[in-house]
Amino acid sequence: MHFSEDELKNALQRKDPGEGFTQRVMARVEQARMEEKPAPAAKKKANGASTAWWKLRPAWIFAVAAVLFLSAGWAGYRYSEYRHGEEMRIARANQQRLQKEAEAARDQAVLALEIARAKLNHVLQQAQFPADRNDRIRRQRL
Amino acid sequence: MEQQARVEDDGMALALGRSVQGDSHAFAQLVRQHQGMVFSIAYHFLQDRSLAEDLAQEVFLELYQNLGAIQSPAHLTYWLRRVTSNRCIDHGRRKLRRRELAMEDAPEPVASGATSDPLLLERLQQSLAGLPEKQRMVVILRYQEGLGPAEIAEVMEMPLNTVKSTLHRSLADLRKTLTRRIREVRYAFF
Repeated sequence: MHFSEDELKNALQRKDPGEGFTQRVMARVEQARMEEKPAPAAKKKANGASTAWWKLRPAWIFAVAAVLFLSAGWAGYRYSEYRHGEEMRIARANQQRLQKEAEAARDQAVLALEIARAKLNHVLQQAQFPADRNDRIRRQRL
Repeated sequence: MEQQARVEDDGMALALGRSVQGDSHAFAQLVRQHQGMVFSIAYHFLQDRSLAEDLAQEVFLELYQNLGAIQSPAHLTYWLRRVTSNRCIDHGRRKLRRRELAMEDAPEPVASGATSDPLLLERLQQSLAGLPEKQRMVVILRYQEGLGPAEIAEVMEMPLNTVKSTLHRSLADLRKTLTRRIREVRYAFF
């Protein structure tokens, strides 16, 4: 399908925006002028603050990530400290238990030796009296 | 003719100078002088009268806020074309264009050009609306504003060769779309 440049120009010829366009533009300009007047510095500052936060997003993300990383590291260190303390406590308790057991065994051994000594003394005493009597009997037989 | 143009230019320069100093009547004169151009670029691009008017108003508002940067009437025209085309392209990218064609949104019948086929012109406008944003704007600046490729390149901040190839491709796409539309109409009737 062919069309000439004139036809394209005709299709795209300028159009009038209609009655009152200029007045509507001027009304918007007036409105903008009125909005601009009160404390432009404060408005700028408020805008700046909101956009500054948005612009500093990477810094915020980095800061949050750093805080999380440091918190995780600190928590890990605290946990390892706790584990080490627990292990030491258990080792100490074991040592104390073994020491008590050893002391009890020593006491038992001492008691056993005491009993053995008493028994031996008793046997020795018993053994001395009959020896005398045996000697008399043996002499009588001779 | 040339003298009249020079007088108009002088009048514009005067109005521009007074607008910069805060004269709202002078600014209204500037708006009246350029409203047809700004509105038509937006209208042909968006194919929606109310959106085009809204966009044109925003462009003039931006002009008011940047009056200090405008150096001459020629610079003003260039500035308005550039801002309008940028805003149109941004708008087109932001929003998926609504294809519902209510009566008031339908392209207006062409007043002049009695030798042209009104149906063809309407189809041309509809086919233009189907082009990608940059292609559409290049065609509008070329055939509505009558700008040369170098001027279009300056307004749209594109390399000259890109403008030329875009224009060539746009016309080819327009022909293709138009042929397809007319075939569809033929099949619908016969």
